[in-house]
Amino acid sequence: METLGYLMDGFGVALQPHNLMFALLGAFLGTLIGALPGLGPANGVAILIPLAFSLGLAPETALIMLTSVYAGAMYGGRISSILLNIPGDEPAMMTCLDGYPMAQKGKASEALAISAVASFIGSLIATVGLILLAPLLANFALTFGPAEYFALFLLAFATLGGITGKNPVKTVVAACIGLMIATVGIDNTGVQRYTFGVLELFEGVDFIIAIVGLFAISELLFFIEERAGGGKEKMKVNKLSLSWKDIRDILPTSFRSGVLGFVAGVLPGAGASLGSFISYTLEKRVLGKKGAFGTGDPRGVAAPEAGNNAASSGALVPMLTLGVPGSGTTAVLLALLISLNITPGPLMFTQNADIVWGVIAALLIGNFLLLVLNIPLVGIFVKLLSVPPMYLLPIVTMIAFVGIYSISNTIFDLYFMVAFGVGGYVLRKLEIPLVPVILGLLLGPEMEKNLRHAMELSDGDWMILWDSGLAIGLWVFAGLGLILPYIVGPLLRRGMKATPNSGSPESD
Amino acid sequence: MTFNDRIFGVLMIVLAIAYGWGATQFPEPFGGAEAVGPDTFPKLLAIVLAISSLYLIVRPDPDNAWPWSRTGIELIIAVVVLIFYAMLLQPLGFIISTTLAVGTLCWRMGARPVNAYITGAVSGVVVYFLFSFALDLALPLGLLSFLEVN
Repeated sequence: METLGYLMDGFGVALQPHNLMFALLGAFLGTLIGALPGLGPANGVAILIPLAFSLGLAPETALIMLTSVYAGAMYGGRISSILLNIPGDEPAMMTCLDGYPMAQKGKASEALAISAVASFIGSLIATVGLILLAPLLANFALTFGPAEYFALFLLAFATLGGITGKNPVKTVVAACIGLMIATVGIDNTGVQRYTFGVLELFEGVDFIIAIVGLFAISELLFFIEERAGGGKEKMKVNKLSLSWKDIRDILPTSFRSGVLGFVAGVLPGAGASLGSFISYTLEKRVLGKKGAFGTGDPRGVAAPEAGNNAASSGALVPMLTLGVPGSGTTAVLLALLISLNITPGPLMFTQNADIVWGVIAALLIGNFLLLVLNIPLVGIFVKLLSVPPMYLLPIVTMIAFVGIYSISNTIFDLYFMVAFGVGGYVLRKLEIPLVPVILGLLLGPEMEKNLRHAMELSDGDWMILWDSGLAIGLWVFAGLGLILPYIVGPLLRRGMKATPNSGSPESD
Repeated sequence: MTFNDRIFGVLMIVLAIAYGWGATQFPEPFGGAEAVGPDTFPKLLAIVLAISSLYLIVRPDPDNAWPWSRTGIELIIAVVVLIFYAMLLQPLGFIISTTLAVGTLCWRMGARPVNAYITGAVSGVVVYFLFSFALDLALPLGLLSFLEVN
């Protein structure tokens, strides 16, 4: 029961008063970010990273705060699904199906409370799953050599679009762009690459600047284009009358969906959106005629919420154990790890055990905090929905400027961020996904390092890249990740299309 | 219409060629050539990008409409505001430049001008004080530096 010991140590870290305070702050900010229009989880976490830096937070504190933001944003995303029939982020799409009808029947508070409880159960199951699975996977990953890692990175890129992704070639193009940007600077043999003699480029492109520019600035431009500055009508919510029986009714559904969602979160290429989709569809089938799905069945609210929260916690498993994120937000969390000088991957579980287990414990505590925050404070979050984006987005942009400026106090970085924002806008218009660009920026140096190591071991023989059974397996899965969307994708997309379209494309 | 992907594909092929050519120009690293030099990984990337860009040219997706006319001008205004914001942050100071930048953005996004610039000024002052007192980080005061109390 080594794990239990580590977990106890983790609680020791997470329960320190200042860490607990930042977890609470993170959970609150996260729900806020999830609820506010135009601020998805990835976007929100990205803007907060530079601030966490300039605050000079200890690594574990910064990570605890931003993981709480991540968990909180998943809670917040459901509010507009239920009240306005507009999903706050993509995974919250399925919650509209029964959440909005419930709200129309005058049961908005019940729907919000049920979804909070289901989210809690889903996250709890997934966190327990994370505790059990992560150390095993980390141990297994210790057997990886450089060739396996190289193949694993390829797998990460190939499955990033997800099997519901539209055009895998665009994912490849995006990944190439990211990896190319990552090669700028002086490499580890001391050769200058693509610096054009510009001093600011010698150290390479800071991925934090790129992330904030790509997410925050491009979002501003998108809102301007869509002229969506007006904001939404104010919503009134009835008084909550939830009995113990109502909660008991959704428990079996929440458990089943939580487990499913966790599996979807861990697997590469599935992700939170698919997690909530599968949970909802399966639950509909399990309950059959006993349920009134689509017309405001509480279980139809519970299933996708438990599924999507479980999936988002599950997505932390590959990020923490292998250093390979499977979604936009976990990629942003990976950026935080790298910039805190923590090498993600299996070694983190031995070298930075206090940080990893502190974060896991914080995730458990954060779930309780979120449940406590969400039921009484839901009125505040509902009010936030009507904040007009025309005031909100300029202020968010300003905060992005302050954050980036406070890292290095140079104006050059700000120009760079604006340039990335414009670039991100153009890419989004062309439906080139941004997450692979970011992942390329983050993983580029490691990927090249592993390629070099592998080739040094083999004396320049390229065959080493697919020399072991494990490496071949990873290559095959990477290939499937690119081919399957052409075969299975259209079918799954048709299933998901029956539901309302998602709000922002970049918030998984 | 399928121009977007085609044009983008052509641009990316140009990028791939320029990038790949750039990789051949690297000086040999100190200590002699190795199996994987500084140029190997970039060359691989150039090849992958060129191939996938070719695919985009051959099998493009349908276009998203670009915002021409007024919306396009609004977008350009926004980008110009952001560039000026960066440029004027130090000379004018954080509070004044934030008032102008946030105010202009709010206004262009549809807020009434008075409300817009009040939002800008309030957010600038609040964030300035939050940063300098609560978080102990110095943002430039610029023109307002005569207010500084030492």
